[in-house]
Amino acid sequence: MTETKPLLSVRGLTVTFDDFVAVDGLSFDLHEGQTLAIVGESGSGKSVTALSIMRLVTLGTRAKIADGELLFRTPDGSVIDLVTQPEAVLRDIRGNEISMIFQEPLTSLNPVYTVGNQVAEAVMLHQGLHRKAANERALEMFDRVRIPEAARRLKEYPHQMSGGMRQRVMIAMALSCDPTVLIADEPTTALDVTIQAQILGLMRQLQDETDAAVMIITHDMGVVAEVADDVVVMNRSKLVESGSVFDIFERPQEPYTQALLASVPKLGSMAGTTKPARFDLVDFQ
Amino acid sequence: MNDSQPLVEVTDLSKEFPVGGGSKVHAVEHVSLAVGRGETLAVVGESGCGKSTLAHLIIRLLDPTSGSINLAGRDITNLGPRALRPHRTKMQIIFQDPFASLDPRRTVGRAVAEPLKVHSVGAATEIDEQVKELFRKVGLEPEHTDQFPHQFSGGQRQRICIARALALEPKLVIADEAVSALDVSIQAQVVNLMMDLQDEMNLSYLFISHDLAVVERISHRVAVMYLGQIVELGSRADIFENPKHSYTKRLLSAVPIADPRLRQRRPLLTDEIPSPRWGPGEAPERVQLVEVAPGHFAAVE
Repeated sequence: MTETKPLLSVRGLTVTFDDFVAVDGLSFDLHEGQTLAIVGESGSGKSVTALSIMRLVTLGTRAKIADGELLFRTPDGSVIDLVTQPEAVLRDIRGNEISMIFQEPLTSLNPVYTVGNQVAEAVMLHQGLHRKAANERALEMFDRVRIPEAARRLKEYPHQMSGGMRQRVMIAMALSCDPTVLIADEPTTALDVTIQAQILGLMRQLQDETDAAVMIITHDMGVVAEVADDVVVMNRSKLVESGSVFDIFERPQEPYTQALLASVPKLGSMAGTTKPARFDLVDFQ
Repeated sequence: MNDSQPLVEVTDLSKEFPVGGGSKVHAVEHVSLAVGRGETLAVVGESGCGKSTLAHLIIRLLDPTSGSINLAGRDITNLGPRALRPHRTKMQIIFQDPFASLDPRRTVGRAVAEPLKVHSVGAATEIDEQVKELFRKVGLEPEHTDQFPHQFSGGQRQRICIARALALEPKLVIADEAVSALDVSIQAQVVNLMMDLQDEMNLSYLFISHDLAVVERISHRVAVMYLGQIVELGSRADIFENPKHSYTKRLLSAVPIADPRLRQRRPLLTDEIPSPRWGPGEAPERVQLVEVAPGHFAAVE
């Protein structure tokens, strides 16, 4: 853990949907250059956490941020609480300072505009660039996320691209305004394993090239082991355990973390055997 | 019928889908494989490799373009709906999304009873008892038969689908990404259940999956598919410990390993899987499988 002040400090975040508490008193810090994985099973509250940081969770839903603070350090060094900011301020922060990529790139892209147009639009909107400069920026971003033949592919529509290329477009769009925090919600879950490996490799590479903090939300312990510096384990709306990736994988303290790790199939664990074998399940409830 | 014969034998099976303008998608190309009794054959590959089409062909949900399917010593490739009916009881399929494969307005008990009713197995009271027994078998409470699918979790719903698949005491169960949509802890439980049921009922599984780590757990033998063709076929150990084909190796090396000390820097590849669509008069090049070791086949590259 670094000694620097966190970029984002989540303090006692509690999010409710009517009577249901989706996130319950969650606290963690995110630092510059850090990759933090929030891991948990369906319904553990990890996506709601991400949407809360973007302050998207309350839009058009019955969700309420009932308690807690989301302390964000802006580039000028001042610390603001995202929970209390008006929509106008948030709109400036979203995309510019904190951006997000989602699981399914096809549903996040507009099918009737070219992908280049959509990346350029983000830059024009957030950074006030003119069309020509924005197009140049889009091309630069396509190169950065290693889209082959970038100039040609800018003119393609989402349906003409494969899932892996579409996710690269989403990453290009998310990084186009040089955000300080990138939230990736299950960014590789919908992708094939060889494409997933490409995208994870790309994300790590991009992290070396910038000092953005990355918060990756995933249910896949394999993905966590591949990319995370630190891990927050969530279960039933609460933080179960947090620590470095080595702490979590090698010295898990909580029964839930132990059970979760025990049920992860590990490639190579069956070497030298010929018959199928049951999982050794740890009962924690 | 002799017990050492495979339960299912697929020979030279192909399926082409016309996509307009004389072009065709060659979804399955000259696939031959066999599943033994009590054996799990896993079919692995990425989206679009034809693994689900293969499953649907074997269970006769789709008609093949060419090739043959042999079930328990009988060629079922060209049987019509009526002639096929008695054979349908021997093979069942479980799909990926248990919510989509259960009628939301029908109790789960009725869902499990339906195959028994369709195939007129037993009287109404007996069916009731059988359904309860099936619920017990898959680890569900028999009292819950009058509840609706939405009242169950994803894992429980998949258990219901398994109960329904087992109702007619099939010999072969095709699991098409049956555990892919489940959380890992639930996935592990359902995989364990499938293995227990296999031991109990001497079931054969055709386990279609993109998840190699799960496949390593559950399979006896593995077939690797790429662009509609099998590029490697062998025992679990052959494929996982001694892969021969470059695509198998690539697939294995792409699997993220849940151990941060084994984190590897991979080259930044951007290549994609080519399209299985072919224009008029074109066809994919047929791979040649050679036996590199007893029972271990790999395509010549």
